[in-house]
This record gives sequence, C-alpha cells and structure tokens, in this order.
Amino acid sequence: MASALTSTFNRYMELVGDQVVFTGRFAKNIFRGGFEWGEFVRQCFIVGYLSVGLVGITGFIIGFVLTLQTQPTLKEFGAESYVPGMVSISIIREIGPVIIALICAGKIASSIGAELGSMKVTEQIDAMEVSAANPVQYLVVTRILACTIMVPLLTIMADALAMAGGWVGVNVQDNVSATLFFRKSFAALEFSDVVPSVVKTFFFGYAIGFVGCYKGYHSSRGTESVGRAANSAVVSASLWIILIDAVAVQITNLIYY
Amino acid sequence: MDDTLVQEKNTATATDEEVVIRIEHLKKSFGDNEVLKDINLELHKGENIVVLGRSGQGKSVTIQCIAGLLEPDEGKLEVLGKEVRELSSEELKEMRMKLGFLFQSGALYDSMTVRENLAFPLTRVLKMTDEAEIEKRVTDVLASVGLEDAIDKLPSDLSGGMRKRVGLARTLIMRPAIMLYDEPTTGLDPITSREISELIIQLQEKYETSSIIITHDMNCARIVADRIVVMNDGKYIATGTYDELANSPDELINNFFK
Repeated sequence: MASALTSTFNRYMELVGDQVVFTGRFAKNIFRGGFEWGEFVRQCFIVGYLSVGLVGITGFIIGFVLTLQTQPTLKEFGAESYVPGMVSISIIREIGPVIIALICAGKIASSIGAELGSMKVTEQIDAMEVSAANPVQYLVVTRILACTIMVPLLTIMADALAMAGGWVGVNVQDNVSATLFFRKSFAALEFSDVVPSVVKTFFFGYAIGFVGCYKGYHSSRGTESVGRAANSAVVSASLWIILIDAVAVQITNLIYY
Repeated sequence: MDDTLVQEKNTATATDEEVVIRIEHLKKSFGDNEVLKDINLELHKGENIVVLGRSGQGKSVTIQCIAGLLEPDEGKLEVLGKEVRELSSEELKEMRMKLGFLFQSGALYDSMTVRENLAFPLTRVLKMTDEAEIEKRVTDVLASVGLEDAIDKLPSDLSGGMRKRVGLARTLIMRPAIMLYDEPTTGLDPITSREISELIIQLQEKYETSSIIITHDMNCARIVADRIVVMNDGKYIATGTYDELANSPDELINNFFK
C-alpha cells in the first residue's frame, strides 16, 4: 500500500517536473531568434477563425436561453427591467469566459493533442530534431501563443453575441428596443466585471494551448496514444480552466471587494 | 546494379581510414529491459555498414543514440571525433547538421508540400533567405532522387517509395557527412526496394557520405554493404563482407542469408 502510494506520488512529481521543464523550453524559445511568424499566423487562423462559427453560435444561444430561463422568474417579482443587467453580468463575468474556454478545450486542445501526437508517432518531431531544426519553436511556441491570443478574442466575440441573443430572447415575449436593452446591459457592468474576466481568458487560452501541446508532444509510440493524447488534452485542459477560474475569482475579490 | 558491381563494391574496403563514428561498450536499457548490452563499432569515412539482426534487438536504438535522440546509459559514442554525450545543445545542433537520418516511414511533415519539406531545414537550420538559392537546392536534390515532378505534392499524395525518396532528399539537402538509414526498404515492393538500394549507393558516391544502414532486406544489404554487422542479444556478434558472412559456419548468422 505504502509503496503504491510512493510510486503514485513519484509519478505525479515526475509529471509536474516534466511540465515545468516543458514550460521552460516554451518560454526560452519565445525570445530565441527566428520566431515562426508564418506558422504563428496559420495557427491563429486555425485556432481563431475556424472556431468563429462554433463559438459564435454557442455564445448567441447561451444569451438567448439564459434570458428565456430567467425572464419569467424576474417577471413574477416585477423585476423584468433587471433582465439585461443580469444577463450581461452573468455572461461577461462568468458564463461566457468559462463556457467558451471549455468549448475551445474540446475543439482546440484535442486537435493540437492529436496533431502533435500523430507527428510524434510518425517520427515527424524526431525528424525535425535530428535535422537540427527546433520543433519546440516551430510547433509549441506558435500553438500556445496562438491559443493565448485567440481564446480571449473568441470570448469577447461570444460575449457580444450572447448579449445579442439575450436581446432576441427578451423580444420573444416582449417588445424591447435594442438601444434600451444594450444601454441597460452596459449600465449594469463595471470595470471590475470586464477586466478580470478578460484577463482570465488569456490564462484559459494559455492552458488550452499548453496542455494540448504537452500531451501531444509527450505521447508515446503507437496509434492508440494519439487518441489518448487528444482525450487527456481535453480532460486536463477542462480541469485547468475550472481551477484557473476558481483562483481568478479569489484574486478578483481580493482586489476589488 | 548488376552482380559484378556488387562484388566489386563488397570487396572494396574503405581506403580512407578516418573514423567518423566510434562506439565502444555502448549500453542502453529501458526500465528493466537491457536492449544494448555491449555495442562496439567503427564507421570509416566513405564506408557503408549494414546492421542485420532480428526485430527488437536494438538496431534502431543504436542509431537513435548516435543521432542524440536517445541517451545511452554507458559507453563511448563519438561522432566526427566528438563524444555525443558531452555535447552542449549548440554542439549537438552542429553535429546534427552533419548527420542525415532516414526514418522508416520517411517522416515527412504531412502538412507541408514536398517543396516545403525540403526547404524546411534550409530556412530553419541554415537560415537561408535567398528564394532562388533555396529553389535551386530543392530542385537539384529532387532531381537526384528522380522526383522533380512531385515538388508541389503533399506527402499524402505520394506512394511509399516516393516518400522514402523525398525523405532521403530532405536529409541530403543538408549535405550530411554521415547518413543513418532506418530500414530504408521496409514495406516496399522488390523492384522499388532495389531502386532505393541503388539510389543509396548513387547518392553516397555523389555526396561522399558514410552510412549505417539498418535493414532486414538481404538484397538491400547485398547491394549497399561494404561491411555487414550482425546483431544478436544486444551485441554485435559478427562482422564481414556479404560473401564472408553468407558462407559463415555459424547457423545463426547463416540463417539471415538463406
């Protein structure tokens, strides 16, 4: 029993150590000369542009459904005018960033994990290494930075569409002008609602890119490991998003309240 | 290549005695599995050594140690006069620039065209920026492997033999002093296998490389080998020319040639 616990602990510590080393390699290679701008732009296109449809539709529907769910309850208390504020605060502070990050974890982390895992299995990463090229700079730095930049942009877009979805939701039963809805939405928001939620999305993006790259880059040989890399990338990235969110809430409360 | 040429090649020993790879008492284990138990080998300049052995004997592990992809546990491993285990990352990079490695699968970057695959080491490693010069080297090396028409194709559009040729071109474009081939003819039909084996010889003459070739293909061994080394149980147990080993009284060695 004790030896099993020791072995599990050792394995865990090895994993942590390995991730720290991988982070170091990533950080060192950002500032090394010969940044892969072409590959970085390509990854921004894949991570960002190719996720616009999924993220946009999801954002719109979140806002729409949230409004439809809360409107009847608030109506009962005669507090219908609070619907725009409630929707905007919930979306901007919590629901938008977390749901969009989880969707990106499913779409992007799995795709990066599978892609790099497949490159590892087919010896493409070894081929880069043995040809004296730098696979971390080409594959890892570009993907992590693309995720770190594109996930916040996707979240901002999804938040905007969620607000639009909220306005459409309100208009299913009532007749509220867009001007009134959005004015009340923005009036309810404060600086402390917007900034921390945008800042945390950078960390979400970094976690998605990092976990996808780490799992793919360290997948073992064999085709089965590609599936495992993709799967564990999604699971780990989702877990990291929830953990980062919990820490971000604490930090925000400490700073602003 | 006809049999007379093969005979001439096999009897011609390396005239230049300069050792480009020296391995002494090399050991490598994976957990409790001791794969390399005591490997000793010298590769001379201009020489082609074929390593024979049953699957799982550690043939590929040996060349992965040479390329710095795996770190040996014990022993001496010198490439071009430098101990690989003592190289800094920059020195390892320099050493790898003089080393070509043809992977079993070709290991072409599947999101890039053939042109991009070949230009990759030129722009990333040699930091070449002159488009015309890059294009010239790419087309020259593709012509060497007889695949000028495949320049804009993706790896997924190539056959197994073509992939091997492009993989070979990608390593040769760096003009390496040493080539390491990991089963260059595995999975190919006999005709293509023979073409690849002959190509290895032609390119060795053209680029003046020294090579270690891991293979199970006896035809390939017969065509390319100056010297053959037989590996068993993590050790090299015999060395000699194709004909010497083919007539060996040792049944284990002789079995490879039946």
